[in-house]
Parts: sequence; structure tokens; C-alpha cells
Amino acid sequence: MISVVIEQRPQMLARAAEGDAHAFAALIQPLLDPAYRLAAVMLADRSTAEDAVQEASIKAWRKLGQLRGDAGSLRSWFLSIVANECRMVRRQRWWNVVKLAEIRPTQGAGNAFDAAATDLKSALLRLSPDERLPLVLHFYLDLPLEEVARTLGVSTAAAKSRIYRTARKLRSDLTLEEVF
Amino acid sequence: MTREDFRRELGDAFDSISGSPDPALSDRVRSALVEAPERRGPVWIAALAAAVIAVILVGVLLVGNPLNRGPLVPGGGGSPTPSASPAPAPSPSPSPTPVVQYICGASSSFTGTNPPLSAFVSDVRTGAHSDTGYDRVTIEFKNGQPESIELRPQTDTKFMTDPRGDTVTLAGKVGLKVVIHSADAHTSYSGSKDIKTGAGFTALREVRELGDFEGYVTFGLGLSGTGCYHASILTNPTRLVIDIQTS
Repeated sequence: MISVVIEQRPQMLARAAEGDAHAFAALIQPLLDPAYRLAAVMLADRSTAEDAVQEASIKAWRKLGQLRGDAGSLRSWFLSIVANECRMVRRQRWWNVVKLAEIRPTQGAGNAFDAAATDLKSALLRLSPDERLPLVLHFYLDLPLEEVARTLGVSTAAAKSRIYRTARKLRSDLTLEEVF
Repeated sequence: MTREDFRRELGDAFDSISGSPDPALSDRVRSALVEAPERRGPVWIAALAAAVIAVILVGVLLVGNPLNRGPLVPGGGGSPTPSASPAPAPSPSPSPTPVVQYICGASSSFTGTNPPLSAFVSDVRTGAHSDTGYDRVTIEFKNGQPESIELRPQTDTKFMTDPRGDTVTLAGKVGLKVVIHSADAHTSYSGSKDIKTGAGFTALREVRELGDFEGYVTFGLGLSGTGCYHASILTNPTRLVIDIQTS
């Protein structure tokens, strides 16, 4: 299904640009999973993340005329809209986010590996959403540095710097080679 | 730890935060898109054009009748929102010269309506306009107005750098700190990080970049005199203009 969508992207983009909502829905369908994961990590709340993705999809549909480049630019463009929507949600409902960000360790963690994983999760949630964003894009969604940079709206060097700097907040002993 | 170990651990942690999306999300989005109001079309553009024409007409009427013009009041459009009451301003007089209301000792802020993910500082420059009563600092942005800008006056010229936390002392007697959020000053700006003004400037002594870290760009202004200022956002190109009162 996904490969079919990718092959037909230019045609779908053209139809979407002419106002075909179904074509646009099909175009972004493969991006909904990464968009949800990005939103869920930024907002630390799954239900709010789904709402944010839905709202971002509608905004993307209305802003389709602003998409620069071809269908290949779609992913970074769409994810940047999702990230902006998450920021807006946080501004509007900051009390929810503050409440949800208070993550406590799971009771009776089974072993050292579980404890380490919980520590890393807690450390991730202590980062600001904007600090988590480049990590999610690069390490979780596997976007190459150039696409991370496009999504963040910065240079590739700046994106790499942000990723490394934030990764070092999680593990201060990390070397550059261990990150990239 | 290898690169793969680090990636795997992070991936597991992210997985535990996000989980998987509801399988119905795709259908939900599709329905929302199909039911969403039509994309912006000619009607919207026509309405916007009508609004722009109306604004221009009002502007022309105001310019054509300067005697009825009141003082410029911060808070609307490209003017900042003061967070405390500024010092009393001169009362308006029937003069064709625009009356600029300077803010003395109070903070003010701007909020961008449709900010870019990161606004790139592209230029920082200074200008002396002592003949008209102010020195000017202009901070130009390449891609739009940033999410927020705060101007915080202070009674000395000691500033803390970000993120190092070092204390630096600028020239002058009082200071003005400018904090710009969702911006960076390293992508499109390679000019001076510390501008010391010279002859001709009577109020503005120094402009120094204090920080450019995690989306926050901070500038410190070293000032002489009262430190009263007037700030505004101008467009084409987008820029923050801070006028420091000289007399």
C-alpha cells in the first residue's frame, strides 16, 4: 500500500492541489504514523497527540499551496506543521502537559535493564518538547540529517549540533561517534 | 556503548512514551479532511483584499488629517505590549510631527502571529539620529517575526551570558535586555557579536549578543541617560527596531 502511494505521489499531489480532499488524505496516509509518534513524544499524551495530528492534517490541507518543492518535500513539511500544532496545543493547555510530565518510575521494575530504560524515558520527558523534537526525528523516525534540518527549519550543521547537544543531556559521556 | 545500542535504547524509550496510534486514526483524519471547510479560495482572498484596501483608506485619511492624530500608543499591531505602566508621556499637542511615546523602566513584549519554526537573525545594525532625539538598534530577521520578543530594562549594564552564565559588563549606565524566542543568530548572521558605538551616539553605547542557545537569542544593550525606549516591528524585511531616547 505504502509503495503504491509513493509511486503515485506526484499525481495525488496534483489532484490534491486541485482541491481533491481524498487525494490529499491518501497522500498523507503513510505519514500519519510518524506524525502521531512525533506528537505523542512532544506532548507526552497519546489522546492529545491524535487530536493534534488530525488538526495538523486539516491545516496542512489548507496550506497545501505553501508546499515548496515536489512530493519528496512532503514529509518534512507535514511534520513541521505537526510540530507547530503540538507547540500550539501546549500553549493552550499547558496545565495538562505540566501534569502529565510528572513521570514516576514503574513500581517493582524487574531488572537493571528495565531500570535503565525507565531512567532514559524519565530523562527524555524532562527535556522540553522542542529539545525532544530533533531526537524523535532522527533516532525514532529515522529521518536523515538533511530532512531533520528541513523539518526544523535550520541548517544541517545546526540540526546535527542540536541532536548531539540534546543527546549529551541524556548521556553526558556520549561521543560524537556514538550518536552519528 | 555503540551507536546501535544508543539508537535501540532511545527507540525503546520513545516507544514506551508514544505507543502505537489508534488504527482508526487514518479514517478519522480522512473524515475530518473531507468534512473540513473548503480550502481558502477566491472568496477568502477577496475578503482579505477588501480588508487591506479598507486599512489603506483609513491610513490615508489619518495621514491627511495630522492635527487629529493622537500619540502613538504601544499595544497594537507592530508596537509592543508593556507589562507595566510606562512613565507619563508628554501630552499630545496639535503638531504635524508624530509623537513617539517612549517606555521608561518598564518591560514590553511582542508576540508573532504566525512565527516560523525558527526565525533567523540576518543583520544587527545601529544608527545615530541625535538630531531627531534617538539612537536606533535594528535586528533583522530573514524569514519572519519570531514567536516572542521581550525587552527588559535594567538599572545597570551587567548581563549574564547564556548558557555559560558569565557576567559581562557593557558600556553605559543602564541596560536593556532583548530576549528573542524561537530564533537563532548563527544560521544567517555572521556579523559582529559586540558592537561598540562611537561618535555621534549619545544614548546607545554597546550592543552585544549574550546568547544563542536552544532557540533563545539574547542581546544586551548598554545605554547612557534614562534608558527610555520605543520598540516596533517593521516588515519588508521583518525587523525589530528599538529607538533609545537621547533627550
